[in-house]
Amino acid sequence: MSKRRILVLHLAFLVFTAIPPVVYADMCFECHSGWEDESGSPSASYESDVHFRAGLGCADCHGGNPELDDMDDVRRGRGYKGIPRPREIPGFCATCHNDPGYMIKHNPALPTDQLDKYKTSVHGKRLLEEGDEKAANCVSCHSVHNIERPQIPASTVYPLNLPEVCAGCHSDPEYMAGYGIPASQFDDYAESVHGHALLVEKDLGAPACNDCHGNHGATPPGVTSISAVCGLCHALISDEFAVSPHKAAFDEMGYPECEGCHSNHLVLEPELYWIGTSDSSLCVDCHSADDGTEGLAKAEKIHEIVLKLKKSYETAEAKVDESELKGMMVTDERFILKEITQAMIRTRTVIHSLDFEKVSEAAGEGLEKADQAYRAATTKVEEYYFRRKGLGIATLIITILVIALYLRIRSIDKSHPLR
Amino acid sequence: MSWLLRAGATGLLGSILYPVYKFVIPPLTGEANLSQLKLPFKSSELREDKASSRIFKFGRELGIIVITPQNEVKAFSALCTHLDCTVQYRKDLETIWCACHNGQYDLEGRNISGPPPRPLEQYDVHISAETDEIFVSKKT
Repeated sequence: MSKRRILVLHLAFLVFTAIPPVVYADMCFECHSGWEDESGSPSASYESDVHFRAGLGCADCHGGNPELDDMDDVRRGRGYKGIPRPREIPGFCATCHNDPGYMIKHNPALPTDQLDKYKTSVHGKRLLEEGDEKAANCVSCHSVHNIERPQIPASTVYPLNLPEVCAGCHSDPEYMAGYGIPASQFDDYAESVHGHALLVEKDLGAPACNDCHGNHGATPPGVTSISAVCGLCHALISDEFAVSPHKAAFDEMGYPECEGCHSNHLVLEPELYWIGTSDSSLCVDCHSADDGTEGLAKAEKIHEIVLKLKKSYETAEAKVDESELKGMMVTDERFILKEITQAMIRTRTVIHSLDFEKVSEAAGEGLEKADQAYRAATTKVEEYYFRRKGLGIATLIITILVIALYLRIRSIDKSHPLR
Repeated sequence: MSWLLRAGATGLLGSILYPVYKFVIPPLTGEANLSQLKLPFKSSELREDKASSRIFKFGRELGIIVITPQNEVKAFSALCTHLDCTVQYRKDLETIWCACHNGQYDLEGRNISGPPPRPLEQYDVHISAETDEIFVSKKT
């Protein structure tokens, strides 16, 4: 090959590689940007969608040739899917999300079993098996063209937003009519300790709907799995319940475990009157004095010792507050109060074992600390009054001395007037 | 003479009233913040501990000191960053664990599981080679 030909080939190669690739406009995006119907412009909202940022265009999901600017040509083109019906949506999304080979290129950490789980959910069964198009599909929770990762606050499935999304259907009595479940779950949840922690305190560690029901495989926990679900966070309580006489009895009766006393969505701060033998106690719902168990006797004993611990704490705290208001340093006493709080938490935990010895031991630690805090705070209050009396007496003495000195000087002046 | 007596009386009055005033009005500055502490047990005692950890009082808070599987001594605030429960060392899991809501931290204090929103505050640990005493201080 001559040098001239080699030079020409080199130049041709350089020119060819320097030409930028042909960039065609995404005609779907261009045309649909002009829409301003009730649902807004799909293109406008899609610009904030996680898929848009990953480089996916409209045609990657809806099919069709994005280079064509005539809708009829697009519809007639190969691979055009258009707008899927609700029952088609799970399969539509799963085209990519159920394909590990494809997903690993975009988000290797994202699971690819969403469709399999969805098929096991109440929503999935209703939609895919019974054809009920009112049942939730992917877009019911994730939105349509502004989908965001769940960790992002703008996402519809961000923990703080999720309960409202579920409530969109589940709190609508008209929509939920015919399904045989109440529409009060969100209101109950919002009033519960969990709802308060998440929605008011913004505690992202508090459970949203999906933490108990699952997300793609959403279904009510079974009777025997409730304690396992609650035990994800309340691990020690779950362990104590598992060794209690209630565990076997509840299983035998088919009685829901934690839910039996604490309810499901309306989980409230436990009250002392729940345990005991009064008419408002939960124990009397199942137990009676002649039921052949020692249930009520034990409940009464537990009630008494926990009540004693509560009152002791309140008394000690009041004395520490009094001492602090009088200007005394109460760092140590506040520390002891924290130790009592820990003992109260331990006591509340072991109550679930129904073992009075365990309850008594945990409460005993708290009672001992409460006594210690009360005595220390009382000493400080007495010290305050001692200082106050001392100051008064000292002031009186000094005042008398001053007056005496003044009178003495005056008498000296009178008896020996200066001339 | 009378002005001297009046000045003296005023001074005396002031010296009486000033402490009264200071006693009634609380100090503007808070309590001294404890930043360093000698623990009430020695390193050898900690190493003999079956739990490989101990809880200690650090000012008005609690701390936890741990012997890691790598034989390092590490100390952290023992207050769970979720709801202030006292954490404990789980030797079997090699984690610091909060029993209240199953929160877990690794042995760097990082929140790795459960509801805790933040890591535990880690303290500096110094062990005297001569006396075997343990000194814990807040990181600056």
